[in-house]
Amino acid sequence: MTIDLQSVRKEFVARDGARTPAVEDVSLTLGEGEFVVIVGPSGCGKTTVLNMIAGLERPTAGAILADGRPVTGPGVDRGVMFQDYALFPWRTVAENVAFPLRFGPAGAGLSGAAIGDRVDATLTLVGLAAARDKYPHQLSGGMRQRVALARLLSYEPKVLLMDEPLAALDAQTRTILQDELLRIWGQDGPAASRRTVLFITHAIDEAVFLADRVVVMSSHPGRVREIVPVDLPRPRNDATRADPDFQRIAQHIWSLIKNEAYRAATS
Amino acid sequence: MNARLLRMATLPVALIALWEALGRALGGPRTPLPSKVAGEAALLIMSGDLPAALAQSLGRVFSGFAIAAAIAIPLGIAMGRLRAVERNLDPVIESFRPVAAIAMLPLAILWLGAGSGAAVMLVAYAAFFPILIHAVAGAKGVDANLARAAATMGVSGATLARSVIMPAAMPQIAVGLRIGLAVAWTAIVAAELAVGAKAGGGASGGVGQMMFAYYAYSIELNRIIVCMIAVGLVSLALDRLMRFALARAMPWIET
Ligand SMILES: Nc1ncnc2c1ncn2[C@@H]1O[C@H](COP(=O)(O)OP(=O)(O)O)[C@@H](O)[C@H]1O
Ligand SMILES: [Mg+2]
Repeated sequence: MTIDLQSVRKEFVARDGARTPAVEDVSLTLGEGEFVVIVGPSGCGKTTVLNMIAGLERPTAGAILADGRPVTGPGVDRGVMFQDYALFPWRTVAENVAFPLRFGPAGAGLSGAAIGDRVDATLTLVGLAAARDKYPHQLSGGMRQRVALARLLSYEPKVLLMDEPLAALDAQTRTILQDELLRIWGQDGPAASRRTVLFITHAIDEAVFLADRVVVMSSHPGRVREIVPVDLPRPRNDATRADPDFQRIAQHIWSLIKNEAYRAATS
Repeated sequence: MNARLLRMATLPVALIALWEALGRALGGPRTPLPSKVAGEAALLIMSGDLPAALAQSLGRVFSGFAIAAAIAIPLGIAMGRLRAVERNLDPVIESFRPVAAIAMLPLAILWLGAGSGAAVMLVAYAAFFPILIHAVAGAKGVDANLARAAATMGVSGATLARSVIMPAAMPQIAVGLRIGLAVAWTAIVAAELAVGAKAGGGASGGVGQMMFAYYAYSIELNRIIVCMIAVGLVSLALDRLMRFALARAMPWIET
């Protein structure tokens, strides 16, 4: 599935009439099977862009198309992994992962046993098989994040919209899940079998490791500063991280956001 | 543990002893005394009269409570989530809410007769409001992100209400259920007292009617006090049971 943002603008209007311009004139195309990563300082509108593609927010101006048709609301073709996980606290890990299949259209026609198999397979994939009967409040932040990832993967949306999905993980787990994510996405297989991914992160090295293209945003208001192509070969692995090109691209992105990051950190 | 028990028992035991002493010293032949109350309690329990009356009252409470919950929970969720429903129903509900359950009695008896029907209706009426109000608040307070997440998975409408809103509102609804059950038990005693009066001490039954008969016909203060104590103990037991059941029903809540 391709996603097309055409001169998208978003302004939040509070009850008292106060306006917050969140996103200004963003144009961006996510190609079929493309892995696009957005980086940028806090508050630059990354989540807002993702929510608009998900159909959870409407653009104030401009158009968003999914396979050429205007996005009018949420749909199971565009799955979201939320920044705060949005897990259901009254459901166990396995029940959370089963949720979209049991209650949503994605599970129509699947038997209870088929859903169970799918849930088990997904939990094994993210390394949570042992925690299947725990409740979210019994899990660490990193484990919760993996539950949210498993819930997203379980119903196989065509587009994966991921809002800082690995932010709560320790460095090792994070590296492992980056590899895992690329595998799930299908980097070893033919490009035609891959799903479209929009991935938000703060970590520049993570962006470069994962992305086909990195969208660098700047804030006040949120705009696209530059779109950086990452032409590192796939499949990517530990050798990629040591590649001089990897370092060069990461340096370039850092130079783009450095000033703003310093300003944000010292203000 | 034993020392704590002793400390907890000291004041009640002292008060009972004081009551017994003052009653014997100053009271007349009809004055209720703890020793007499204990004797009557034993008689009423052995004969099966008190357990039967309590069982009948409890049956009515559970029926009325179940009816109230079955209507108030879905209605409260609808009111909490749909502006149009709330706007239309809120004035009606708020104008009935201050009307005490017992004020519904004349209508209840005229419509349903002086039997279980009227008592159950009063109980349902009394329990309805606390459950409804907590269900509305619970449904309104559901984390908006959960509903948004469900929407991205294609879950909306009645499925959303059942799979997300209702369980997310459950801790609040549980508070409403606890209050509702306590109110229901209070209402049953009042209802049976009044229905008993209308039925002329007839066959309406229940612990309230039993109290009415001791009050209006045989004038047995000791037995009335036995009934009052039983009512209080049952109320305590009901709340404990409810808390236990709710904790079992919500294993995700940390306690
Ligand atoms: N629901 C909202 N109402 C008002 N302002 C909002 C809302 N959501 C986001 N904003 C504002 O829009 C801007 C972009 O926010 P967001 O997209 O969350 O940024 P990011 O994800 O990059 O940190 C911020 O200034 C934020 O305060
Ligand atoms: Mg964000």
